[in-house]
Amino acid sequence: MAWRQVRRSGLTMPVVTRRFIDHAWRRGCDFINLDLEDSVPPHLKAHARSLIKGAIPVVRKGGAEAFTRINHDYVHADLEAIVWPGLSKVNYPKAESADEIRLLDAVITRLERERGIRPGTIEIGANIETAKGVAAAYEIASASSRVREFGGGSGYDMSRDLGVEMFVGFEQFAYGKGELELVARALGLQVRAAPFVANTTGSVSDADRAFREAQAARKCGFRLGGGLNPAVVEPQNRGFTPTAEDVEDARWVLERYRELTRTPDTWKVIDGRVIDGYEAARARDTLEWATLCAERDREKAAAVLRTRTAMAEPMSPASGVMRGDA
Amino acid sequence: MAILVRRSNLLVPITDTERVNRAWRSDADAVTLDLEDGVVQTRKAEARGLVKETIALTAKGGAEVFVRVNAALLHADLDASVWPGLRGIVLPRVESAADVAEATEQTTALERRRGLDVGALELIVLLETARAVWDIRSIITASPRITQVGLDESDLAGDLGITPLPEHDPFVYARGRLVVEATAARVQPIGITYPLGIHPRRLPAAEVHRMATDARNLGMKGVLCPDPSWVAPVNDAFTPSADLVAHHKRVREVFASAVAAGTAAVPLDGRMIDVPVDEWAKFVLAMAEACDARDAQKRAAHGGS
Repeated sequence: MAWRQVRRSGLTMPVVTRRFIDHAWRRGCDFINLDLEDSVPPHLKAHARSLIKGAIPVVRKGGAEAFTRINHDYVHADLEAIVWPGLSKVNYPKAESADEIRLLDAVITRLERERGIRPGTIEIGANIETAKGVAAAYEIASASSRVREFGGGSGYDMSRDLGVEMFVGFEQFAYGKGELELVARALGLQVRAAPFVANTTGSVSDADRAFREAQAARKCGFRLGGGLNPAVVEPQNRGFTPTAEDVEDARWVLERYRELTRTPDTWKVIDGRVIDGYEAARARDTLEWATLCAERDREKAAAVLRTRTAMAEPMSPASGVMRGDA
Repeated sequence: MAILVRRSNLLVPITDTERVNRAWRSDADAVTLDLEDGVVQTRKAEARGLVKETIALTAKGGAEVFVRVNAALLHADLDASVWPGLRGIVLPRVESAADVAEATEQTTALERRRGLDVGALELIVLLETARAVWDIRSIITASPRITQVGLDESDLAGDLGITPLPEHDPFVYARGRLVVEATAARVQPIGITYPLGIHPRRLPAAEVHRMATDARNLGMKGVLCPDPSWVAPVNDAFTPSADLVAHHKRVREVFASAVAAGTAAVPLDGRMIDVPVDEWAKFVLAMAEACDARDAQKRAAHGGS
């Protein structure tokens, strides 16, 4: 599968909390998700909307992509306020029907045209958070070419809809997650999913758990992360990125496979390991992903450097003069 | 919207006089008088003749009364069951929306003929085949009378050709589909977890409680109980505990102060409290109240008998 975007880590934050927004670029995230929905109280919705345009360039200063999560019930007002150059994705919560996605697509298409954004740039994240959403998953995911990654089916909203306590286990989500993954794979979309790593405390800042979950997810072929607390960003980046050992191993497998292709055999066991076309494809996939991760890390490092330099420029001569004066 | 509290639904073979006579004291939220698998073939007609007089007796303790009919004897069984005091019909072996339509039409005709509120009788449908699990959406949306849906796991195992082993649950998919589709259709999914759903039997109350709790955590809203010993642990498992109520009261307080302070996301014990968490807390507190109210109704009915 071709992975276009590297989105190992990301923070969802209320756009109304200034200090989160100002520091977002220092967090090392692949993306920042500016929230207008559940973390913003109703009386601040209008104010929150007015902050998005300004916040987009601020949170991108460290090289992260900027997303916005809108409100299910304020699609028009929210989209008018957020579709600006620099935005990569609109996350739409509690998606339950294909019509909802087609409406989003139509409004975004108009706004892209009006605001000089290349047509088709902005993705739609169709968040499945209810049983109805699971039941209509295929129609929802195929409603717009802007839906490029798909998954979900667990979380607080889903728990509430099913009438179950959060953090009691995994089985209550098994069917929904399974359905969504099948839909994503059937439509050739990137899969937003993870294997179950117990989180019975509900902690959102457990770095060790975040690392274990990301690592397990990567081994299961999943590559999309995200969270709520800065403590999980670095562990997610690390857990989703192939290690030097993984890369070394993939090269070894490919080398053995190349040798195999010069023989009449289609598979062979070397040092107790099967070498065949399947293993070679997996190894190529690992190397490709490692390259994409490395590129993404270079981009982010360059952005951080630019930002630090820009911040330092006006300060160094001026502050030097001031210190000299004092 | 009022919350339907039907945690336990005690199944009693109507020909078992002793069990029928004791059923009203069981504290079950509902009692289902069984004309189907609990009655031998040779006594079906006799069983039918008992329903009308048994309904009032069974309702004495405040339980809702249902009758489980035979799919193959649908007309005769419905004719014998649709009488005042009945809450609804448990419809087994439902295969398609047409099966639901057939039962619904006849029920409507009987309600009309016998001067009952037309459309008031509920249906609880049981799915027992692969076809039914696959077509669940069209089945449970076929009539607004359907308030609950469950799997008959023993018969489903038979249909799938499974000889179940206690350590391998063969119904993770079927049960998950039941919960998701029922929830999407606003119908309550009912059932208990494996292997109790397939081998119903007497067990220590703690065991039943554990499996009923697991079922609640899967999204089930109640259990069809084959034995009176299940009723107390099932009622308890589906009632929010005092600890849970206290926790959710605290969530609501913390969230309200956060909103007043300008944020709708606030940490509590390492968790993030935001709108859905508060909404859930609100629901659990409402559920606790609804359970209390139901228990008070049953106590009042007992006091009056």
